[in-house]
Amino acid sequence: MLEKEILKEFQEVVGVENIDDGEVMTNAYAYNWCIEFVNYMEDKDPIPFSPIPKAVLLPASTEEVQKIVQLCNKYSIQFKAQSTGLGPWNQPSTDNSVILDLRRMNKIVKIDVKNLYAVVEPYVSGAQLQAETMKYGLNIHMPGAGPMASTLASHTSMAGPGFTSPQTGYSARNVLGTEWVLPTGEILRLGSLGLKNEHDWYSGDGPGPSLRGIMRGWVGTKSGLGVFTRVATKLFPYPCDTEFVLKGHSPIYNFKIPNFIRAYVMDCKSFKHLEKSLLRVEEEEISFICSHMSSYAIMAIFSYTLESLMDKMAFGSMKSPLLVVIAARTKREFDYKQKVMSHLMEELNLINIIGTKYEPESLFYAECLRTNLGYHGFIATGGFQSAKGQCDSAALCLRAEMKNVPLKQKFIEKGVIANDFGEGAWMTSYESGHFFHMEAPTFFDQTDIESVKGMGDYMEESNQMDLLGHLGVPFFIEGDKLHNHWGPRLMNYHKWLRKIKKTFDPNGISDSGFYISANDGGIKKRD
Amino acid sequence: MIMNNDNFLQNLTKICGSKNVSQDPEDLKEYSKDLSFIKGKSPLCIVWPSNSQQVTNIVKLANELKFYIIPVSLDSKFKHHGDSLPKKDNSIILNLSRMNKVLSIDRKNRVVMVEPGVSFGQLVPILKKKGLRLLLPLNPTASRSVLATALEREPITIPRYHWDSSDPLLCTEVVFGTGDLFRTGTAAGPGTIKQQQKMGQAQVNPMGPTQFSPFRIIQGAQGSLGVVTWATLKLELFPSTQKVYHFQSDNIQDLLDLQYELLKYRLCDELFILNNLNLACLLKQNPQEISELVGNLERWNLIYILSGRGPLAKDKISYLEGDIDEIKAELGINLSAPKVKISAKEILHFLNEPCNKPWRMRFKGAYQDIFFLSSFEKIPTFISLMDANNKKDFGIYIQPINQGTSYHIEFDLYYEPESDNVVKTIKEKILNVGNQLIENGAFFSRPYGLWAKVVFSLHSVETIAALKKVKKIFDPNNVLNPGVLCFDD
Amino acid sequence: MDEEEYQKMIKRCVRCSVCKWIPQVQIKSQKYASACPAIDIYNFHPYSGGGKIILALAYEMGRIKPSEELRDIVYKCTECGNCAVACKYMNVLEPLEIMMKLREKLVEDGFGPMPQQQLYTEAVKKVNNPYNEPHEKRLDWIPDDINLNPNAKILYFAGCTSSYRRKEMAIAAARIMNEADVPFNVLQGDEFCCGSPILRVGDKDTFEDLLNKNLDTIESKGIETVVFSCAGCYDTFKVDYPLRRKYNFEVKHIVEFFDDLLESGDLKLSKNVPITVTYHDPCHLGRNAERYEDWDGDSVQLMPLVSINVPPKPKRTGSKGIYDAPRKILNKIPGLKLVEMERIEEYAYCCGAGAGVKSAFPEMALKTAKTRIEEAEDSGADIIVSACPFCSTNLQDGILEKKSKLKYFDISELILMALGLEPEKLKQAIAEVA
Repeated sequence: MLEKEILKEFQEVVGVENIDDGEVMTNAYAYNWCIEFVNYMEDKDPIPFSPIPKAVLLPASTEEVQKIVQLCNKYSIQFKAQSTGLGPWNQPSTDNSVILDLRRMNKIVKIDVKNLYAVVEPYVSGAQLQAETMKYGLNIHMPGAGPMASTLASHTSMAGPGFTSPQTGYSARNVLGTEWVLPTGEILRLGSLGLKNEHDWYSGDGPGPSLRGIMRGWVGTKSGLGVFTRVATKLFPYPCDTEFVLKGHSPIYNFKIPNFIRAYVMDCKSFKHLEKSLLRVEEEEISFICSHMSSYAIMAIFSYTLESLMDKMAFGSMKSPLLVVIAARTKREFDYKQKVMSHLMEELNLINIIGTKYEPESLFYAECLRTNLGYHGFIATGGFQSAKGQCDSAALCLRAEMKNVPLKQKFIEKGVIANDFGEGAWMTSYESGHFFHMEAPTFFDQTDIESVKGMGDYMEESNQMDLLGHLGVPFFIEGDKLHNHWGPRLMNYHKWLRKIKKTFDPNGISDSGFYISANDGGIKKRD
Repeated sequence: MIMNNDNFLQNLTKICGSKNVSQDPEDLKEYSKDLSFIKGKSPLCIVWPSNSQQVTNIVKLANELKFYIIPVSLDSKFKHHGDSLPKKDNSIILNLSRMNKVLSIDRKNRVVMVEPGVSFGQLVPILKKKGLRLLLPLNPTASRSVLATALEREPITIPRYHWDSSDPLLCTEVVFGTGDLFRTGTAAGPGTIKQQQKMGQAQVNPMGPTQFSPFRIIQGAQGSLGVVTWATLKLELFPSTQKVYHFQSDNIQDLLDLQYELLKYRLCDELFILNNLNLACLLKQNPQEISELVGNLERWNLIYILSGRGPLAKDKISYLEGDIDEIKAELGINLSAPKVKISAKEILHFLNEPCNKPWRMRFKGAYQDIFFLSSFEKIPTFISLMDANNKKDFGIYIQPINQGTSYHIEFDLYYEPESDNVVKTIKEKILNVGNQLIENGAFFSRPYGLWAKVVFSLHSVETIAALKKVKKIFDPNNVLNPGVLCFDD
Repeated sequence: MDEEEYQKMIKRCVRCSVCKWIPQVQIKSQKYASACPAIDIYNFHPYSGGGKIILALAYEMGRIKPSEELRDIVYKCTECGNCAVACKYMNVLEPLEIMMKLREKLVEDGFGPMPQQQLYTEAVKKVNNPYNEPHEKRLDWIPDDINLNPNAKILYFAGCTSSYRRKEMAIAAARIMNEADVPFNVLQGDEFCCGSPILRVGDKDTFEDLLNKNLDTIESKGIETVVFSCAGCYDTFKVDYPLRRKYNFEVKHIVEFFDDLLESGDLKLSKNVPITVTYHDPCHLGRNAERYEDWDGDSVQLMPLVSINVPPKPKRTGSKGIYDAPRKILNKIPGLKLVEMERIEEYAYCCGAGAGVKSAFPEMALKTAKTRIEEAEDSGADIIVSACPFCSTNLQDGILEKKSKLKYFDISELILMALGLEPEKLKQAIAEVA
């Protein structure tokens, strides 16, 4: 709870009905997915609750956010901003904190059709934004987290890989003008948004160096360096006809498949051939989706219940599956892309099981377009999270996946994570194959203490393997403990990160639990 | 900053070797001026390091002895923006031209690793032999540094390959102003570059390491935050077929509308608009030929290229043409081909090959360029502003960038350099026009020269403050290229 | 939901927020993407379906004690079930059932229901209806010219709201049945509250008393089919009663019943009704009216941590609600044009009245109604039609509050018009909340 005088000041900013410091509200906001094993990795009780914040606030505007941040500085209370709030990165690392739930900031500020970008506030979900941009024949980049996740959060603060990345890139690379409340309370407007005369959203860089460089890297700062209140993000051509009609009822709708869309699922039979195939397909610049995933995941994206997924396990395990979806606006474009795929399949000796062994439900195509693939596979045990997350060449990703197999199998044999044959992986192409990332979705039972511990141990060992094996940097290298461990082997980047934190957040007000603290408030390493 | 003179030259010589340090007056004179209107000071010496260790040692020395470093990639003969001129006493020129190795070319991952001294003239033909191409700016000079061009965020001619404003720059090795060596992106590790490459890594992800992206801070910094000693750059595969389309109109809106549709659906490769003067300068070599061609071209010229590769190249071009014809029919615009024959070969030549001397110097021997970013709607406004000044001697180049989310607009002011009066007039005009553009919302994201001060004065104070904080982190003693951007105000 | 399943399931929310939106693939615009009136109005996460699962867990763990704050959050929910549909599109959790069980626990612990809901519960116990109206006046809605058949095997169960507040609906239903020569009867003095408003606020004991009273009465009369105008009564009889006690008569909502009559030709709609309407799917006729299917299977562990139900356990996803029948009826009305809102069928947005919200939080009910009215306006319709008296009351309140040009009709009233009969002009009466 907040002290009365402090509560009053916050109430004056957001209104009495938009702040709650009661036991019920603050406890509810302390809960999140995956916090149990994050707690375990930090030597805390592996429960799904983080430290309980003092209060939860619902600001409605950038100005309110600014005032809240100023008050936090005044009273030395940390803040943690969240929007749709999926994941432990939304949780405060101390009980001397307030949560800013940005739900009331939910405007699509503009869709600029001629300049091919949209400007959104934090609580606009990917599906909402896509539904609006489709009206103009345009599409957005949607992260793999799903269409219910915040577009702004993905672009400014989290990660950003997506199924459609061959055509829509990575969230961090789609950022244009950005409005950013710094931890000190100033409002920073990046790029052309900072012009005094006729500011606009079309550029996020300059003048001179780009401050996007301190805003985020491969992953974002997760509220560790202020609050992003608006962002402009690039728009892309919608890949096919925008008519999006579903009939029938949940969960297996009947989707009117657009004219020019087609899926290919091919077994490359080895990592080596998979690498070759990925690169060749992407060189031709025809794919809307180009992903490698484990055979388990392939079956998951074609099933809609856990039971039907398990049915498909008997389908036969593919060794190195490759999913390619092509889509086109016109028949001539579609004919060309199909012809290219035909040639490629001949060149690479690949067979498409779609149309031969298997025909997906029409809903599969809707979920490709809405980036909502395979969710049932992820909740087979109740909980899941991805280890790995490195991004560079296809070869690196596949090597990381290959090395991960025996490690994962070790934990599978212990019975603490689910058996996906050890190959559980998702790898996707970016920008027509210029780089790839790979992550290893891992399924655990969040209600089983041994499974939670096992998941935590697996993540740690996986990280360590990547570090010592020169296999790139996984997604979740964050927080003092991990930065202190990784930094010395990566050009001491953590020292620069710390300087940035110290400079821009001198009072240490923006929660650094999933970023870095200025003074190395590192958490004790577990024995 | 007060320089400590003790053993200054000896230290530099010890680091680089005597052959790589010069105080020759002619050399010093060359680096104290360029083709801009900025007045530079004479440097103390020129230093040519051979590797990143030497660069590191020099930067550390600068911090210790308190002198300034102006990084320069290649020769400054054609430099136009004043950014590499010493603005303070006690400056040295750090000439990186002898670090000129093409470190690796990776066809599989479509990436090249180069040192700063590698020029377009050097690299383009090597890549072509391997079936690869750089993402080029518009007809770069052969002697220009490939790496420096990428560091300047110079726009490339293929907007659909411009996935991020930073492209084609990927990873870098950089010496910050503190003297610390750093590698950005996935090049940071874990492992040495060799160890990374052994694991299949190709240094193609520029983001990171982890939660920041320092490559973005170095880019656009005009050498004032770090000295880059190598970088990886994106490559594309060289098409086997390139079909050139050239349309003209005296109404720029028709061309803008068409190029928007091509952009929206990512239908073509190279895509840009030039006025008749700039197109003529690109195509012809001397003033007479240029003037003659200008007279035979409509004011506005849209050029786009459809390309294909391999056995299905023709199929690809055929479907693209079909889609584009449909778009043109829907738009209902009637565009003419040029009256005078301009061969595809001529156009492809300036698109695919660097030029020996800056093409902008062909018309009158000298030029000044004003360039900024704009939204689609404001392009005609900015053109009208320029027209109000003087239509005749301006070249205009309009380049959609960053997946079509903004436009690089460039006005090239041509003049004869010999006349002092003309130079004075041009200088006034540049300032005047620049100020007008800034006041009307032109975004000078790459501020150089005379109007840099105005650019920052009309930008938000929070941005300036943040940039200065970044400078304080990466170059706390301001040893790198002081006087550029906003860091010294 | 039994206690064991409850204890397991409350630990499994992944806080993905899908419960706040309609199924992701169904989102057609930003404006009409949301599913949950509670969080739409109050914004804090605990108001969502997933948020209530977290509250249930925190309550079980003793992290939060019963309090007015907890009670208020838990009762600011119409139990529309949209969260459950959305969750089960992607996940397997039952946020609605968890929430209902949480209310039961609060009632058991003496912290529920809301005072206003307690008042109407007392009224039900005393006079068999939540409006505190005299029980003996329950049949006052019946006009003199309605023909009842004391030997009929078809019973028309008007329900409390149609009997006391939305009489025009009961009258319309009766007239239509007369027009189709369907012999039917009503309970004379022994029709009692179905118990829906009691069940939904967590008072399962009082509910069971009412359930037994109603079933004893109906079964004793040899009734074969019970027909309802009220979606709430229908859902309660169809879905909730069999969980506690089986019975041997059929239950139908009037939309099913009248659709059957139209199909068989016993009812013919010949008069032109040239209007443009949009149909609001009542929660208790749509997604919530899906029966629980008996399941005799087992949870089988396939491998460590992964179990499946063998045979597959039927999942209530809202797919078996009554959606087609009302639409078929409307499409059979000559001259009528049906336009759909964006949120329909199993992902229709709630009217805002249910589960005691109209009584305890009238401002929430009204705000929700106004949202739905705006959606109806955006569909291009002049008339919003539905098939539930509670929706009728609340949506009409919304129309008034919003000063909307829309008119409201029950589907039975439109059938009357298509039969050439006039609906009752009783709409000037403002409904009172119990």
